[in-house]
Amino acid sequence: MALLEVDNLRTYFYTREGAVQAVDGVSFAVEEGRTLGIVGESGCGKSVTALSIMGLIPRPPAKIVEGSVLFDGRDLTKLAERELEDIRGKEIAMIFQDPMTSLNPTFKIGTQITETLRRHFDITKGAARQRAIELLEEVGIPNAPGRLDDYPHQFSGGMRQRVMIAIALSCKPRLLIADEPTTALDVTIQAQILDLLQRLREERRMALIIITHDMGVIAEASDEVAVMYAGQIVEQAPVLELFDQPEHPYTEALMGALPQLEGTGIREGRLTAIPGRPPDLVDPPEGCRFAARCPYVGLDSCATQPQALREVRQGHLVRSSHPTTERGRSREPVTM
Amino acid sequence: MVVNPREAATLEPQTSAPPLLETAGAPIRQTSLWRDAYRRYLRNKGAVAAAVLFGIIVLYCFLIPGFWFIPGIWTTLFDIDPNQVNFLETYLPPSLEHPFGTDQFGRDLFTRVAKGGQVSIGIGFAATIAILVIGVTYGSISGFIGGKLDNAMMRFLDALYGLPYLPFAILALAVIGTVSFWTMVVALTIASWFTAARIVRGQVITLKENDYVRAAHAVGARWHRVLTRHILPNTLGVLVIAVFLELPAVVLGEAFLSFIGLGINPPDASWGSLASEGRQSYQTHPLELWIPCIFIATLVLCANFIADGLRDALDPRTRET
Repeated sequence: MALLEVDNLRTYFYTREGAVQAVDGVSFAVEEGRTLGIVGESGCGKSVTALSIMGLIPRPPAKIVEGSVLFDGRDLTKLAERELEDIRGKEIAMIFQDPMTSLNPTFKIGTQITETLRRHFDITKGAARQRAIELLEEVGIPNAPGRLDDYPHQFSGGMRQRVMIAIALSCKPRLLIADEPTTALDVTIQAQILDLLQRLREERRMALIIITHDMGVIAEASDEVAVMYAGQIVEQAPVLELFDQPEHPYTEALMGALPQLEGTGIREGRLTAIPGRPPDLVDPPEGCRFAARCPYVGLDSCATQPQALREVRQGHLVRSSHPTTERGRSREPVTM
Repeated sequence: MVVNPREAATLEPQTSAPPLLETAGAPIRQTSLWRDAYRRYLRNKGAVAAAVLFGIIVLYCFLIPGFWFIPGIWTTLFDIDPNQVNFLETYLPPSLEHPFGTDQFGRDLFTRVAKGGQVSIGIGFAATIAILVIGVTYGSISGFIGGKLDNAMMRFLDALYGLPYLPFAILALAVIGTVSFWTMVVALTIASWFTAARIVRGQVITLKENDYVRAAHAVGARWHRVLTRHILPNTLGVLVIAVFLELPAVVLGEAFLSFIGLGINPPDASWGSLASEGRQSYQTHPLELWIPCIFIATLVLCANFIADGLRDALDPRTRET
């Protein structure tokens, strides 16, 4: 059994306009020591999925209406808040997008690390401090003992993200959820942080979920990829498989929107954008949610028929009635 | 976009501070929020002057007549008891021994005004602190829990807001019955804790949405820990400002109550009761009314200037352009 099994998770936000179906039937599993990348555009439900796993969705207005989150055999959606608090930070940790605002400006970073340690373990202040120094060294902060008494504003963005990672790792979690861990950072720092996460995952045999909208991050960091669109997973495959043979028209279009650095046809013409906007999740369309923006929408009745996630190849799931390989090789150029 | 890991690796050494830099000049002075605020405050001349004047008034009030076990300068120097009636020395004009003259009963006004100041300032600070304690408790519960409870608590506050301030304080005094220093504090607190509660609630609601509060939840912090460690310390700046905004209102309230005879009663003095006594002989000896009034006005003005300076220093973004 996998460490984390999310099954048919539905998280709705109850607003004045109606129930926003932010996460609508998401299922995936993450094995120990593996990395799952969740990719999708803004508002597709990536972060809400992560927050639902942690039990951190704002209630009200949000509510998990269906589904289960099995972590090590326990259903997190059924636990009481107190039991969840004991799991958070200790078994499942999370790092957030913006390191500039994720640290409390009024406390020294040493305090913020030791507090987390002392919350979950019965250790002395001195031992916690020692452990904090080790953690800072582990995430690559130079002069760790000296920096323990610095305030967050004395750190750069990349260093703060390292501190966030140190805090997240302090209690040796078995699952780490990184919600856009590199979005707010410079490209060079991004690569460092991703390398750090990879290294730590291997050393500690953690499971890792990386949430991002950056295909580059996905290619770099994950073993398995789930592409989300409008609250659903539209395609799920091992990372190489996905990049070699994207099946869903949405994934295809995402790839088409990436700038090419090598190969034929580089620097020719404009990058292709996907026209239109994602559907309103208060009242999502009956059929395929991508239909309104899909160039292949006329092929069959997919716009009105609900689409199920099905396996086109071993380990490659797709939610489309006409994935690339079944359209034949007559793959039209994606002109939109 | 992602950079080739090899390139990233070559960049890595740069982040570990080269020892060269440490010797290349004086170490950077560490700065903190409070030191920054202090520097910004000093730049505001009006606020500095107000703080100095405020300090002088407080020192005058406490050192001249003495308080608790500390002997007063003036009372020991000239052997004066501020409450001692002496009918041979009524309405003396200002002199070295009596810089403010004496009143209708021959009591020295210099020490008496200082003694009254102790009461006025003491009530001011005590009530302000009580207001903040209640305000922080009420406001943080309301803001932190939110939802229906927040709604109910705020509507209750709205209802209290509808009651006019001073009649409410008078009513509170009437209900308590006796009048003393502490009953004045209670009455003024009851009548004016609403604004502080509102301010704190607003702050808590803003801070509650902060990333580091989410991050604290994500590492398993319990709610009381999140509130006391992550939210309330961040409201401190606003609270410090609130002290100096609340203080003049309370001092004025106390002066008013004492002036109309509902507050501190003779022979004890407060600035309000001194002004009330001075009013009786205003036609012949205007000084007796003017002095306590000037003290009240100066203290209130100073507190407002200080609050202004503190706001600019602690929260530079809200400064008016």
